[in-house]
Amino acid sequence: MKLSDIFQNRNKKSRPQGESSLKIGIKGKEVWVYIIFGIWALINLFPVYWMFTFSLKSNKEIFGENVAGLPKEWLWSNYVKAMNVGNIEKYFVNSVIVAIVTIVIVMLISLMATFALTRFIWKGRKQMNKFFMLGLTIPIHASIVPIYVTLSKLHLLNTYFALIIPYAAFSLAMGILVCTGFMQELPMDLDEAACIDGCGTWGIFFRIIVPLMKPAVATVSIYTFLQCWNELMFANIFVSDSAHKTLPVGVQALSGQYMTDWGPVGAALVLATFPTLIFYAFFSKKIQESFISGAIKG
Amino acid sequence: MKKVTALLMTMVMLVSLVGCGKSDASKTSTTTETPTTSEATKAPDATEASTATASDPIDLTMWCIATESDSNRHAYEASIADFQAAHPEINLTWEATQNQEYKTKIKAAVAANEMPDIFFTWGCAFLGDFVDAGRVYSVDDVYAKHASELPEVMMGNVKYDGKYYGVPMTMNIVGMFSNMELLKEAGYDHVPATYDELIACCDALVAKGIIPFGCSGKETWAVTEYLESIIEKTAGASALNEIFAGNATWANDDVAKAVGIFQEMIEKNYFDPEGIALSNDEVKANFIAGKYAFYMNGTWNAADFDKAGLSDKIQVAEFPVIDSSKSKLGELIGGPSDTLAVAASSKNAEVAAESAFEIAKGICHYGYLDGNGLPAWTPDYDTSGINSLTKSVADIVANSSQMVLYGDTAMSADTANIYLDYVSQVYASVIDGKAFVEGLVNDIK
Amino acid sequence: MRKLYSNKLTIILFILPALILFLVILVAPIFLSGYYSFFDWNGFGKKIFIGLENYKELLTSNSIGFIKALGNSLLLALLSVVVQLPLALGLALLLGKGRKGERGFLSIYFMPVLISTVVIGQLWLKIYNPSYGILNVVLRSLGLDSLARIWLDRKTALGATFVPILWQYVGYHMLLMYAGIKSVPIEYREAAMIDGAREGQVNRYIILPYIKPILKISTIFAVTGSLKSFDLIYVLTNGGPLHATEVPSTLMINMLFLRNRYGMGSTIALLLIIMCFAFALIIGRIFKDKED
Repeated sequence: MKLSDIFQNRNKKSRPQGESSLKIGIKGKEVWVYIIFGIWALINLFPVYWMFTFSLKSNKEIFGENVAGLPKEWLWSNYVKAMNVGNIEKYFVNSVIVAIVTIVIVMLISLMATFALTRFIWKGRKQMNKFFMLGLTIPIHASIVPIYVTLSKLHLLNTYFALIIPYAAFSLAMGILVCTGFMQELPMDLDEAACIDGCGTWGIFFRIIVPLMKPAVATVSIYTFLQCWNELMFANIFVSDSAHKTLPVGVQALSGQYMTDWGPVGAALVLATFPTLIFYAFFSKKIQESFISGAIKG
Repeated sequence: MKKVTALLMTMVMLVSLVGCGKSDASKTSTTTETPTTSEATKAPDATEASTATASDPIDLTMWCIATESDSNRHAYEASIADFQAAHPEINLTWEATQNQEYKTKIKAAVAANEMPDIFFTWGCAFLGDFVDAGRVYSVDDVYAKHASELPEVMMGNVKYDGKYYGVPMTMNIVGMFSNMELLKEAGYDHVPATYDELIACCDALVAKGIIPFGCSGKETWAVTEYLESIIEKTAGASALNEIFAGNATWANDDVAKAVGIFQEMIEKNYFDPEGIALSNDEVKANFIAGKYAFYMNGTWNAADFDKAGLSDKIQVAEFPVIDSSKSKLGELIGGPSDTLAVAASSKNAEVAAESAFEIAKGICHYGYLDGNGLPAWTPDYDTSGINSLTKSVADIVANSSQMVLYGDTAMSADTANIYLDYVSQVYASVIDGKAFVEGLVNDIK
Repeated sequence: MRKLYSNKLTIILFILPALILFLVILVAPIFLSGYYSFFDWNGFGKKIFIGLENYKELLTSNSIGFIKALGNSLLLALLSVVVQLPLALGLALLLGKGRKGERGFLSIYFMPVLISTVVIGQLWLKIYNPSYGILNVVLRSLGLDSLARIWLDRKTALGATFVPILWQYVGYHMLLMYAGIKSVPIEYREAAMIDGAREGQVNRYIILPYIKPILKISTIFAVTGSLKSFDLIYVLTNGGPLHATEVPSTLMINMLFLRNRYGMGSTIALLLIIMCFAFALIIGRIFKDKED
């Protein structure tokens, strides 16, 4: 399907479509649909709600009568503990730095590669594309020690790049996959026109192609973000000084230390989660939109 | 203080710690004169290690497992603070990692030859693998300077091919901690001293609705604290030691019998069934909260029990003898295992080694005062403030005749994990004693 | 223009960063793993060449339990295809019809995807806690004491670890599918409706064929993701108790770092990679056959 179709559909026709189906829909059935929606929403919200409440309780409350209710006494000291002992806020910043730099690198490199793969005419570009696609299926943990040795030879251990480089490499295949979908849709006329206007290859790439790839950026960013945000094993092994540790390592370490004291663990979990959720709450519409336009490109 | 020091001295003379390492033949039957001069309340001597000139700052890195909540944390912080104050010319940075993650991390570092200058390790097999690969610096020369304060008998687990590769800090044994208040409810005012009495006591506890034992099934080493004690008290320390060292096979009827005894205790509901899904910290918290009458685990726990204000409520003892024809009281599980070692790849290996000794001595000092275990180094400070539990442990050790190192420390990594695998199957009652023995005989090469 | 776009040097410049990163970080380790898999090696000591012994031992030894671990991850893959994806598809179809509040629900359903896996793992550890976990507490308060149990013990641990894994990514697949459904030209739908097609028929004959490329990608992600799954299992059970929840990745990490069997760990790594490739190919084929 064409990119233009999708934009059209979403922008112009999604509203009437909604109305028409509502007219046809039977009322009794609609109630059931909303019950299903409600139940699934509850299944998604309740664990997060529970996490929030026990992050503010003492063990006494959690283990006693008030298991699921709001805390009787709001114990903010749990958060102080999570920040002082667990350094959660610092690890959060580290995670954000790693994620952002990785996203930038993945975007840039995969756009460049995609440019060469879709615009240029050369032998073996199909094979090259397939080769990159193999990366989608490689399990990240399978290469832990060889990568460790490589990083140590490059003297990159204990830096942000110890994580950024492997994370970027493992997100690259997805980046190229999504970017290819979008770039193929861009008409060659654009390039021709730019060429006539005197743009070189780099000019075409940076001035014409890259600005038109915004929807791809969002899709790739989310995928890359998830990869960086979740990864535990590399982060634990490649970085040993606390100045560069990331959130999963910090949360795991704190949880190991406070195995029996739930409050601070809950606080750490909340600190590790809520900033992203708040960010998402503000930008969810935008993220969803670009995700929607990017998703179909597979 | 006099008493404790005296006890420790006898301990040094009596305990015959069997040396570690495949090629270590020389059993140290030491009669080293332990220094009797003890200067009261003095921070660990921190002046010897400086071989570097002041103009030339040296960077050292150190990895350990003393994370914020570790009971050893304070000892590390205090010792390192002392060290840093005494050595402005050395720039020491240290990192603590959670136990389980640390094992992964240090092995990856050894594989890539990217080790820190000084690293925490467990003695015997864990360090032995690194020594075999030539990745550890021999500390023979530095040890020679400290031999007077660090008895040779304590060096058994860091000795390979007649050379020393690490410096021990504390030593611990497996102790049976007993909640005297709960025992009282079952009609006991003392810790059962014989096996029959223990069984009767457990029956009485169960009848009262009290769970006798708590044991983490999620961390198999915690199960070995029970199982190894039971095996030792059934088959005898020497037999168990020979098996762990690989000199004898697991094909031993007494071992199978001991496993049967352990499983009978589980069957009779002596163990908290929830334990199987709990971590050791959670089980320990349950014991502190008064949920179990007994908790068998390393004596490093004394510090935490003391901190929880339970010193008066809790007593520590060794597990009673099961087969008196083969074992006797005084045969213990444990030994000095917590060790600092130096990487062969360190640019300043010599300075690092000197520093490791100094830091280890400090950790031993503060750790002992905190109740984290018995000192590997002979104390030269006031020890009168030691908590009563640790004092009892010192008594037990002083009267001991033989110690068997923890199985998972004594055996090489692969063998140890096969062993732990079978132990967890025993705890879950999936296999019986016979299958345990047969499985180990078949699987261990 | 043609000249511009066939300049060899430019091509190389544009493709090189990706290629280098790819070769060094992804491809080289695979060959290294392949090489190491022929050795008995602890990762730092002497390497002993043993040919295919690692493979033989891995596939036959009961005590390693690779086959069982493989079975677990295949079961997870199967569940993700027959439970997770249909659930995601169902929600996407219901939401995609344009109901009031669809964006709100969409946001809520996508939320778990944004939570770090370690956080989810730690949270579910608390949920499953036998004494104080919310699951047992709720069951007990409902009078269902008999259902309250030790969720992470041998019998139920596998199911208990799968639940959060499947739960977390429903939202991800749902959003992908929702996006596809939203892009179905409205004319198709309306034409079918006018012809008297019921909602189910519209879904079956109009929407599903249209979003097939997305279903394919989702299936590949779900299956290879299941085969690769590691972090959540590591946090929840680390493969225990008694290997009940062991999957190839946890087994591999144990071999590499706990048992010091680097050669064996590499063998598992290589088999895992080959398997992921194979499944991606097979799924691609299945979808292609249906297309033809």
